Amino acid sequence: MNRIVKNRELLVLVILGVLIVVIGAISPNFLRPTTLINIVNSSLFLLLIAIGEMFVILTRGIDVSTGAMAGLAAVILGVSLNAGVPLSIAIVLTLLTGLAAGAVNAVGVTAFRVPPIIMTLGSLGVYRGLMLLITGGSWIETIPHSIKSVAAFRVAGVPALIWISLAIAVAVAFALKNLKQARYLYAVGDNEEGAFLLGIPVKATIFSAYCLSGLFAGAAAVVFVAQIGFVPMQTGSGQELKAIAAVVLGGVSLSGGVGNSMSAVVGALFLTAVDSMMIFLKVPGFWNNAVGGAILLAVVFIDYRIRCAVRDQQQRARAREMDLSTLEKNNPAAGSASVMGKAT
Amino acid sequence: MIQWRWLRSWEAVLVAALVIELLVLGAINPAFLSVENLLFSTSDFAHVILGALGLTLVVITAGIDISGVSIMGLASIVLGLSWVAGADIWVAVAIALAVGSLGGAFNGMLVANTDVNPLVLTLGSMFMFAGVATGLPGVLDLLGFKAYGAGGFAAYQYEGITGLPKEFTALAHGGVGWVPNPLIAVLLFALVLSLILHRTRFGRYLYLIGVNPNVARYSGVPVKSVIVAVYTLSAFGAAMAGVILTSYFTSARSDLGSEALLNIITAVVLGGTDILGGSGTVLGTLLAGLVLGFLRQGLLALGVSNDVIPIIVGGLLVGTVAMKLGLIAFNQRRGNRRAYQLEISETREGGGSPA
Amino acid sequence: MPKVDRPAGPIENATVAPPLVSLKGVWKVFESVPVLRGISFDLKAGEIHALLGGNGSGKSTTVKILCGAHKPTAGTIELNGQPQSFDRPSDAHAKGIYMVPQEPHIFSNQTVRENLLIGLAGDARAYAERCERLARELGLTCDFSTCAGELSIANQQLIEIIRGLLRNARVLIFDEPTSALTIREVKSLFGQMKKLSADGIGIFFISHRLNEVLEISDRVSVLRDGVFVLSAATATLTTNDLVAAMRPAGSAPTKASEHVRSSASRSSKPVLEVKNLSGKMFHDVSFNLFPGEVVGLAGLVGAGRTELAEAILGIDQHVSGDVAISGQAAPTRSPRVCQRLGLAYVPEDRHAHGIFLELPGAQTISASILARLGRPFLSAKREGEIVAQFVQRLGIKLSSRSQLARTLSGGNQQKAVLAKALAALPRIIILDEPTRGIDAQARQDVYRLIHDLTDQGVGVLVISSELAEIVDLSDRILVMYRGRVAEIPRSQAGIDQVSAAVFGMAGEAAA
Repeated sequence: MNRIVKNRELLVLVILGVLIVVIGAISPNFLRPTTLINIVNSSLFLLLIAIGEMFVILTRGIDVSTGAMAGLAAVILGVSLNAGVPLSIAIVLTLLTGLAAGAVNAVGVTAFRVPPIIMTLGSLGVYRGLMLLITGGSWIETIPHSIKSVAAFRVAGVPALIWISLAIAVAVAFALKNLKQARYLYAVGDNEEGAFLLGIPVKATIFSAYCLSGLFAGAAAVVFVAQIGFVPMQTGSGQELKAIAAVVLGGVSLSGGVGNSMSAVVGALFLTAVDSMMIFLKVPGFWNNAVGGAILLAVVFIDYRIRCAVRDQQQRARAREMDLSTLEKNNPAAGSASVMGKAT
Repeated sequence: MIQWRWLRSWEAVLVAALVIELLVLGAINPAFLSVENLLFSTSDFAHVILGALGLTLVVITAGIDISGVSIMGLASIVLGLSWVAGADIWVAVAIALAVGSLGGAFNGMLVANTDVNPLVLTLGSMFMFAGVATGLPGVLDLLGFKAYGAGGFAAYQYEGITGLPKEFTALAHGGVGWVPNPLIAVLLFALVLSLILHRTRFGRYLYLIGVNPNVARYSGVPVKSVIVAVYTLSAFGAAMAGVILTSYFTSARSDLGSEALLNIITAVVLGGTDILGGSGTVLGTLLAGLVLGFLRQGLLALGVSNDVIPIIVGGLLVGTVAMKLGLIAFNQRRGNRRAYQLEISETREGGGSPA
Repeated sequence: MPKVDRPAGPIENATVAPPLVSLKGVWKVFESVPVLRGISFDLKAGEIHALLGGNGSGKSTTVKILCGAHKPTAGTIELNGQPQSFDRPSDAHAKGIYMVPQEPHIFSNQTVRENLLIGLAGDARAYAERCERLARELGLTCDFSTCAGELSIANQQLIEIIRGLLRNARVLIFDEPTSALTIREVKSLFGQMKKLSADGIGIFFISHRLNEVLEISDRVSVLRDGVFVLSAATATLTTNDLVAAMRPAGSAPTKASEHVRSSASRSSKPVLEVKNLSGKMFHDVSFNLFPGEVVGLAGLVGAGRTELAEAILGIDQHVSGDVAISGQAAPTRSPRVCQRLGLAYVPEDRHAHGIFLELPGAQTISASILARLGRPFLSAKREGEIVAQFVQRLGIKLSSRSQLARTLSGGNQQKAVLAKALAALPRIIILDEPTRGIDAQARQDVYRLIHDLTDQGVGVLVISSELAEIVDLSDRILVMYRGRVAEIPRSQAGIDQVSAAVFGMAGEAAA
């Protein structure tokens, strides 16, 4: 299965490459470096949310409140900046907001055993409501320049935010492969009962997954405000769908235990690129949703077929192994299948 | 998880909650408590209950369908477009219901034929249907149909397709005596679903599939067709809701009902249906829908901001489930201790079992 | 019954030092049902102690309490004389108690190495060397970087054993370790167990296979209805002692073959015809089943018998070949279609495929005949009548219409699944391991039922891993070996010959 995941990320990158070439042929402007960098830049918001979502999905859970958490964090960022809070502190506050929001989900799922879909759907409503409450229903239109300059800052011609985000993604990937506590995420998602029996701190692991989801939503909010410069009411709306689509696209399995942050990166890039391509193809914006939904359905359907094929293959391998091991030349009289109820 | 006794008393709890809620709201604002007013205000949330009723049956099979809200908008737009294209308004209604149901059938086929989580499948179809609903007028416009209705594109953006015939728009505002038509639709749908769920083979199949789809399959239950049927039925309810909303707001819009998802799921869960499948009743959902609806109406009448309400509803959703789970665990532990003490006392009194 | 040489008994001074682990007066109540009623026992260092008992006797619960997965409602656990309290399994691990579960807990998407080392305190690399040495000693030969999901059950079990040893377990608990193993693997496992006990590790294992219990253990304890009814050194016991201990009080032993077998009339048409059926685990299978006869299908675990049954039923669609039910060709099959044609199937795994645990037992029974309960509305009265009819006929202990299937004993659950199959009035019934994991009384009821069915002209195909059962019950015997099916002629259908065929040594008929 790991082999397929590795292949999956490559596969998606290849498809993406092909698409880029095709679109570039139709509309050469697409292939300019500025365009491509812009695509990466605009994928950062989704990318960070997707990484957060990945933690939860690894443990076989789900979080549909990530968009709302990002929105709430963005609101907090805007409000605190406008209140004169220094940039670095405001960013910390934003991250803490995300973390706290994620922690609420975490408590509900671990301590009260509320099914994740219910918990995160409920907190979705609560966080959206809080957003509206805090802003009084209006957009936060004026944001101090300090945060916007973060987005403008470039290193080697590429926005610093891109470097930072990719560095985060790589760091996460590294931690997931090598950090013991990170491996617990996979164990819990793969076989929660087994993990519990082996002494793995299941509750703590699931708790941290939801907290991380919130934290990364907060980070995504920082990026969003920096890039967009204001906070509209619909901030984050629907992003959880795209985040789930992105990670599944990139190879994270919905049943847990498979995938890593590079899946999120690849998936987010792909979806954002498709959005841009539609602009270049002059397809009206409201088709985005339809296409997004269709892509998600296509991806999970294909994922299902692949898994069926893999399972088939494993079964065949096991059948062959049983075949070989039943090649017995023992004396059949001793140690035969059990004999019950017969006195010999 | 089934505790039959618990479920029966949960509906009683809901009735009590409803009564208390109405009394409290009425005490604060006596005008609220007039029967006419109460009945009329149900039109505001009838679409939520319609969506929740159908969803209950889906959840009983351990599935879920969050695309209902998009189907509401899709049905609405299809209704408007059909009428603009020249169809009789009632034919347009039929087409809208058919298209909505087809959407449900699509969901059902995906759920029945793959092992992908229905949540993800209907998440995808929710976006797809919403996207189609938004984009359809544009496509038809490009193809030469005057898709935007009497007012043209500008008016459409703001109001949707307007100018629908009076006999149609009067539907949602009319009624039988004091009982408004939307409420009648809700009650009829609830009655039909209740009969299906509790008295027919199909309804029993839903419970069997929800408890263990594999065992159901081995026992000869036509799992796949039942699943397709139940998602279709649920979508039909959503389509009905979309039609009623169109009549109520006198315009066909693609975004009707998009806010309703949280309320719909809360109604299902609050009504006592287990989100993991295998148990639930139509009556519970109906009562819970009423409780939620009146709560919202009452709070609005009290001047509580519209924005705060999702917070309350979200809190209710989580709180109900947490409380239910907590109570079940508590009961079990208490039952165990009691049983143990009973055994001990029995063993001490008369011939106990050999050591 | 041949008495096999046993390894050296418990350590000499065990009578002076406290036992390795002991339970004292342990009670456990689940959902107001007492499962363990004040049991006590000791396990000495280096002792192999077997735990027997029917379904619902409390075996699993006992070991789960020992290894920390459950807390006792009352009573104490002691380790070397010191009372212990485990809140979770890792507490028990820390004290040196480890359970190898019946189905190994494997993280199928992770590597073997990761499966072995996960959850260990401290740096995993420190364990790497010990890990490789243990793997070599115990015979786990696969590449450590393979996906654990691809391993055989036997290898997965080895992973669990190594996990226990890496945690310095002094008490190892095995829960039904041999149910999915081939003979060679069982021998290997027993060799390892003897080695471990020689090192002073106390071993506790649950089994329902009496010959294995007699072969490997030093002491045997039998649980019945939550109390120990027997606890003695294995050397002093025979198979009959064990069977008698597990039999519910007051019932007398009956043999499966008391029934006078009516000869199936060959002149009638077969109710089931299977021609050249081939699938993943079987090739070119052909046989017929006639009304009123019992055909036994014998074979080793993994020979492909359940896969064959499921292919006939239509669960597995990827098969080639022909199946005719009641004379009608059935190219596209499903459980529903088969039911309509008169074929019923009682699955091997009743929890996964047979019974609705979280519904009243009555609803499992009626699940197959809902179509007959009235259109469009189900008649609750008629449902009640049919359920009551079968409850009585099969002797199911159902206290009320609403009693959940989960609370029934294994034997009663199996009877409910049987009732469901029978309610559809089948002309053919395939029973897959019908007596596995049920108590002796229920077993006899099943045998009686099979004979009743054949008297009524129903054709019965029995799949079983217990040779005596097959030989006793069947009119004809088919043996499946490595995916191929052959019939054993009546003259050669003694246990030894069947046994030989099961191992692929047809033709080596013992004289």
